[in-house]
Amino acid sequence: MSSRRVSLFWYVAYAVIGAVFLGAVAFKVFQPVQVLPRVRLAPGFQMVDHRGTPLSSEALRGQVVLFTFWYSHCPDPCFDILPTMEYVARHLDQVPEMRQATIPVAFVVVSLDPARDTPEVLQAYAREMKARTGKTWYFVTHPDPEVLKTYVGAGFQVYYEPQPDGTIRFDPRYILVDGWGIIRGEYKYETVVSTRDRILRHFGVLAREIQNSRGAAKLAYEAAHLFLCYAP
Amino acid sequence: MQRSWKFLALLVVVLAAGGWLFWRFRPHRFAGTVLQSPEPAYDFELTSAEGPVRLSDFRGKWVLLFFGYTHCPDVCPTTLADLARVMDLLGRDGEKLQVIMISVDPKRDTPERMAEYVRYFHPSFIGLTGTEEDIREVATRYGIFYNYPQGTPESGYIVEHTASTLLINPEGYLKVIFPPTFGPDGITPEQMAADLKYLLRR
Repeated sequence: MSSRRVSLFWYVAYAVIGAVFLGAVAFKVFQPVQVLPRVRLAPGFQMVDHRGTPLSSEALRGQVVLFTFWYSHCPDPCFDILPTMEYVARHLDQVPEMRQATIPVAFVVVSLDPARDTPEVLQAYAREMKARTGKTWYFVTHPDPEVLKTYVGAGFQVYYEPQPDGTIRFDPRYILVDGWGIIRGEYKYETVVSTRDRILRHFGVLAREIQNSRGAAKLAYEAAHLFLCYAP
Repeated sequence: MQRSWKFLALLVVVLAAGGWLFWRFRPHRFAGTVLQSPEPAYDFELTSAEGPVRLSDFRGKWVLLFFGYTHCPDVCPTTLADLARVMDLLGRDGEKLQVIMISVDPKRDTPERMAEYVRYFHPSFIGLTGTEEDIREVATRYGIFYNYPQGTPESGYIVEHTASTLLINPEGYLKVIFPPTFGPDGITPEQMAADLKYLLRR
């Protein structure tokens, strides 16, 4: 009699252990919660924006920021950089998660050509982008090319090299940074896959995490990080 | 009757063991932000009072990085005092941890001055400085903003800088970012020590 009760107890114990294990496997396989990886720290910087005022990485804390790199003398179509940024900014309000949450968003275009891209030149671009999209835009650069190289090359790990003919050879890149200053997405210029839709989708994933990362739900999100449940 | 007592006793023992196991391995709620960096943190080489120091010299130890300067009026002494408190709270586990302060004011902070400054807070702390270029590169790569708003070395000046503390794991990967230990959203040394204890003991 007793042995049957004890074995019943062990059946239950095994069932509980099995359920926990299966739950963990299911969490990893089906990924009910998906997140963007916390890749690495975005650089600390202080640059000068299109109004001639300083813009630092600290000033952008608490905002989700999409960075890109560009220069105004870049021969058209210049990898479609500004059109891509504009597309993302325009369609951001159509991302359901972004509509539900009120998350401050900024778009930062870093000019790789401080000699020619003065605040006056950048001002016109910033005004136009703001008028077209209604979002917050910063067109920034640093007057000292060496400092700029540290920020962009070492910090954002984006390659660029000014050429003798006045053009700049560079790797087009979009970088999504969260409110804690952590890089959450890096996007190369792609002609096959639509970079812009991928960025928009990732804005949604990040917004959902920011909104739900409180109380018990926070544990689920941290588990998603731990189990590497990354959004495609 | 006696058998069911035995069964009950077994049930209590197993439940207690299960409860203890759950408590022991319960998910830890971090006060800092945890990263799963795919690449090692930037391996800098800077100068201490005892000569050059690289981050990779500390493989096998956890490293807490803090950026500041010795003329700092409020933030840096507070943070260093809090880090010293963290060391106290960690007790013996603190031996697996190295606190490093990196100067964002290399013009005024000599290696000797840094050493003297950090030792005032804790004998194990290390203070590093370097050339302006090296400091700029390290700070940039570790997400640390700094700026000299006004003044010259003669008149005295303050430095604005990011006051987060960064935790590097024994393999050299950035693991946790701790928010500043002051201000309304600041974390307490106790919260920081709890996070560290959890990581150091695994």
